[in-house]
Amino acid sequence: MLFQLVLSGIAQGSIYALVALGMTILFRATTIVNFGHGEFFMLGAFLVYVLLHVVGLPFLPAALLAIVLMFLLGMGLERGLFRPMGESAPHISLAMMTVAFSFLFRGIARLFWGREVYPMPSVFSYPPIEVAGLIVTSQDLIIAGTTLLLVLLFFVFFRYTRLGRLAQATSQTARGASLVGINVPLVHGGMWGTAAAIGAIAGILVAPITLLYPDMGGQILIRSFAAMTLGGFGHLGGAVVGGLLMGVMEQLAGGYISTALIDIFAFLVIIVVLLVKPSGLFGRREAAHV
Amino acid sequence: MSELTEVTRQQARPGVRLQRCAVAALLALALLLVPLVTNDYTQYVVNSILVYALAAVGFNVVLGYLGQLAFANAAFFGIGAYTVALLMHYAALPFPLALGGSAVTGALVGLVVGLPALRLKGYYLAIVTLVFGELMRWAYVHGGDITKGSGGLPVPEAAMFGVVADTDKAKYYVILAVVAAVIWSTNRILRSRVGRAFVAIRENELACASLGISPGRYKVIAFVWSGLVVAVAGGLFAILLGRISPESFNLHQLLLHFAIVMIGGIGSLVGSIMGAVLLTAAPEILRNFPGLEEIIFSLLLIAVLLFLPRGLAGLAARLVPALKERLYRE
Repeated sequence: MLFQLVLSGIAQGSIYALVALGMTILFRATTIVNFGHGEFFMLGAFLVYVLLHVVGLPFLPAALLAIVLMFLLGMGLERGLFRPMGESAPHISLAMMTVAFSFLFRGIARLFWGREVYPMPSVFSYPPIEVAGLIVTSQDLIIAGTTLLLVLLFFVFFRYTRLGRLAQATSQTARGASLVGINVPLVHGGMWGTAAAIGAIAGILVAPITLLYPDMGGQILIRSFAAMTLGGFGHLGGAVVGGLLMGVMEQLAGGYISTALIDIFAFLVIIVVLLVKPSGLFGRREAAHV
Repeated sequence: MSELTEVTRQQARPGVRLQRCAVAALLALALLLVPLVTNDYTQYVVNSILVYALAAVGFNVVLGYLGQLAFANAAFFGIGAYTVALLMHYAALPFPLALGGSAVTGALVGLVVGLPALRLKGYYLAIVTLVFGELMRWAYVHGGDITKGSGGLPVPEAAMFGVVADTDKAKYYVILAVVAAVIWSTNRILRSRVGRAFVAIRENELACASLGISPGRYKVIAFVWSGLVVAVAGGLFAILLGRISPESFNLHQLLLHFAIVMIGGIGSLVGSIMGAVLLTAAPEILRNFPGLEEIIFSLLLIAVLLFLPRGLAGLAARLVPALKERLYRE
């Protein structure tokens, strides 16, 4: 029972990790905390649903097309909503803008798909793998694998590529970066696109094992906040470790204490971490700028 | 000192003071006569406008004046509503006492939310308060026989001084009296030394601390007052609906309060009232189209953030300079 719970916790936690990863990347590049990230997740899933069932594409092209569309949507958001607010826009206003667009997408989804839930057919219908009495589904393996791959990719990107370093420089001081010739709006746009695409990937991967409904982003958002908080806000590895830990702890709490606890476990984690050690497991203490 | 300047200002311009009194008297008369021109349905909408105006005013204290990104408003609102419902349903308390109970509970919960706000800033506070609201909703659903779960609780009819407020028109006077009194007190607080301290903390916390204005103390005061005001609004909401359920206090409720404050004008009490008039009437018209309400609210929010940072109140102040509020720096 323990190992099975840990295993399904890791599978569940990979999803949280993936969503938290998208938020962390955006946070690192733009210092915006995106309260609308759950809607990228929801839109990605619904886009694939539409491309599969209305347009009639096979899964792989549909998924790729959805990811590209979400990337463009992310860039469009930066161009249309955040760039006009200016570099000196207060953090509160930027956060409010993310709240505003999240409800916009939620409303649009509700307009088309009402308050019902939509099942999506499982895409990879390989039989579950059984090792020493433990059951692993292929979907879980794909989710965990994709997460790991993306984490490595972004680690390399931020640490070793020129573009990644430009992105980091931009987040440290946008003004300084533009003075040395970095195209700051383009970097921000690219990061918004990347964040939206990662959110969509998570949504596409999860869609077959959950149901689709317009409010599906809200639940995952809070759990990803918990993952980010636990790992340390803005820390890439922290977001992933936090996500996996969240998944495992949630399953253990649900399995050994009470299933009702699964719903609020993320809340408790957030409250305890922020009250006890706001910087999380890996984060650094922020110094106040005077 | 501030009283002295207030007196000299009034003596210097007796005409202005008289004019203001006349406007206030006319407004009060108009408000008292509203039930003469409404039917049951429009009266219900007017009542909701008053309740939401109060909820937004309480939110504005923390969001607009203190400048803290705290999202506990739906939680305060729900706690106030459940306190009134529980006290009236189980303890059979008369309505005024139950509403007093919700004010006390709201203030205490405001204290509980305000204390972490001393340590947490910006996003961290936003996330914790958001989580607090969802946690409360979970508590209502899993409250067993006490909160009656997702089915919700019936709220007995309010009686005041032997008169039972069983129609929407009768409820109107109860709600109007409470809302007017609480908004008036909020206005007095905001225009006092305490209110100016809130705004000073919003503008620069470190400078405040160095001038001997304790940010911690005033933050707690703002949260306590905000909790009290919004919980009272929630108590009135329970009376208005006659039945409350956990789903009334979800993220959607929070969006409504948030949109009212932002679209009406952040840091403006008049703005919150204007926002409540605009946004409370809208859902009634849009009721048959799921999602449309969210789309319109969010588009309005985006428009306000991009083009009208001071919302409707800012627009009104541009047209009528007398409406300009001094506590906001342009």
